[in-house]
Amino acid sequence: MSMIKNMAATLAAVLVASAGYAGDPHITGFLQGLYGGSMDENNPTASEMTASETRLQLRLESFSEGAEFFGRLDFIYDDHDNPSYDWELREGYVKFRIGRNLDFKIGRQIITWGTGDLIFINDLFAKDYRAFFSGRDDQYLKAPHNGMRAEYYSRLGTVSVAYTPRFTPNRIPTGERLSYYNPLAGNIVGGDDYFFEGRMPEAKFRNSEIAARFSRYFGSTDVAFYFYRGLYKNPVGMDMVNMIAYYPRLYVYGASVRMPIFGGIAWLESGYYDSRDDTVGDDPFIPNAGVSSMIGFECQINSDLAANVQYQNRTMIDYDKYVAGLPEGMIERDEMYHLLTTRLTRLLWMETVTLSAFAFYSPSDEDFYGRFSISYKHTDALTFMVGGNIFDGKYEYTDFGAFQKNDNVYVKVTYGY
Amino acid sequence: MKIHRTLTIIAIILITWSASVSAEDNQAEEIMKKAHLALFYAGDDGSADVVMTIVNSKGKERMREFTMLRLDLEDGGKQFYYTYFRKPHDVSRLTFMVHKVPFETDSRWLYIPAVDLVKRISADDKNSSFVGSDFTYEDVSGRHWSEDNHKLLRTDILGGRDVHVIESIPEAGHKGFSRKVSFIDAKHFLPLKEEYYDKKGEMERVYTAELIEDIEGIRTPTLRKMENVKKNQYTVVEFTNISYNVGLKDNIFTERYLKNPPREYIK
Repeated sequence: MSMIKNMAATLAAVLVASAGYAGDPHITGFLQGLYGGSMDENNPTASEMTASETRLQLRLESFSEGAEFFGRLDFIYDDHDNPSYDWELREGYVKFRIGRNLDFKIGRQIITWGTGDLIFINDLFAKDYRAFFSGRDDQYLKAPHNGMRAEYYSRLGTVSVAYTPRFTPNRIPTGERLSYYNPLAGNIVGGDDYFFEGRMPEAKFRNSEIAARFSRYFGSTDVAFYFYRGLYKNPVGMDMVNMIAYYPRLYVYGASVRMPIFGGIAWLESGYYDSRDDTVGDDPFIPNAGVSSMIGFECQINSDLAANVQYQNRTMIDYDKYVAGLPEGMIERDEMYHLLTTRLTRLLWMETVTLSAFAFYSPSDEDFYGRFSISYKHTDALTFMVGGNIFDGKYEYTDFGAFQKNDNVYVKVTYGY
Repeated sequence: MKIHRTLTIIAIILITWSASVSAEDNQAEEIMKKAHLALFYAGDDGSADVVMTIVNSKGKERMREFTMLRLDLEDGGKQFYYTYFRKPHDVSRLTFMVHKVPFETDSRWLYIPAVDLVKRISADDKNSSFVGSDFTYEDVSGRHWSEDNHKLLRTDILGGRDVHVIESIPEAGHKGFSRKVSFIDAKHFLPLKEEYYDKKGEMERVYTAELIEDIEGIRTPTLRKMENVKKNQYTVVEFTNISYNVGLKDNIFTERYLKNPPREYIK
């Protein structure tokens, strides 16, 4: 722990000191307090606090002829059950250009692509659902990757390639603060006895991640094709010999279209998930291949009210083989999964008050997840926010039903500088 | 015969009268066109640092700081805008791009660097507030002169300068205003003042060019104010580091530069 602290202090010193040398550096950031509590007394987690942290973010930016540096460092004091300090380099990269058409971004970075609003089909970059479910800012939904990205721009379109040498999984509830469904226990669990962690793959080239995209505009319509080679981002495979969850091998091929239409923006995206460790589709402990598709539309209803709706469908391939291979007593998933989402954002008082609601509802899984918040910008620097995360589900093993004991409310105060 | 002559005279009077009216209207439209070009199409391109101060009815201030790039592809026609936000902290490093084509819906993009997200924004409502200020998107990027019917009300003197006073009436149902009265400088054609009236015909907002300076030979309003007289609040916009004809290329106004601000113009 003290080593980490020393490292953090050294890094901070380097950041601040480099500010004195770099050409034209800007230091910005924020201090934020986030406190959240579980609303369900039966939540099996050890702590009833879903969040209790103070976070200091330092952002440093510097650029010179042809190259640019950006760093974002978080220091966190967390007094959830064992008060502790932590830090994370959220971003730390160098950007530069070679020739006229080739851009590089190397280092720790956040990468996003695809068209959906909180639905990700071809975006297989790591997400942080622990942050997302406990009220942290939206920027924390994306977890950083250590890697490199190259983008080549030509008249035909843009080719982007992101390479992550070490597989970076999603950060999902572990039972520490947020409970989850454990298929071995057969119910929702949490606490120290049920600390959940997937088995990381070995640090080998074949376990690295490659994500590529080709995109271009046709008039005002943007079209993209995607490819991913890596592993499932959640530990959805089960090693029955060692009784541990792991990340099975995955290839994804996809495409998307986005365009302005009917006074709004519409998008369509689809991806074929090729489950490489279970190409036949008869292994019940590895997901089958599937096709995931969505359609969405967003518009401004009036000058301070924006709304969108999305529909997603996931269809399992080789469903018959999946059913045939399913052992007695194991839960049978549907061949088709449906999800509806909607977002409403309302701005009031010269955009100082924001009311936001986002709802996920799956008619096939019969589960629900709602995110609600009210934020008030007291001054340009000081923002107050109150919010909640509500989960519900008929079954404990569905995507959102698994978190149904994690209903929480939180308050958040941010001072930006 | 007598009747015939009378009718002819009446007809001649009517024709000359209506011709003079349309000549006046043409003159008014011509003035508004010049005003539009002077305010929104100065030079072939331009860059400026902007500080926007929004003051509410209680006197509380909020600030927005950004750098703006503009490229005209055609005078009075297609235009590209690029905005790089600096302050406040929650929008710092955010970029915003607009492709404006008169009479068509703008294409707008927003890039949120913290999540590396390129978001396309539906741009149906040009009359919504620009970043929470008293200016609307239409105020910032301009409303084409041919969208309204203009009438020259009179010539007058405002702040010691000769002005054309022009009334503009939009098509019925326009959300931004029901009537606008502009005071256009007779020499450089910049609007010195504009009064916007709401649906009830009551004055709602007043624009004033508080300071007009000579920048590279182009008369430029460097301090602009929009007051919402109904809400008793106002926004002041100050332009500094203004340059014209800097040689911006159209490829800057693409997703590549949206994600990677062009540092030769945005320091």
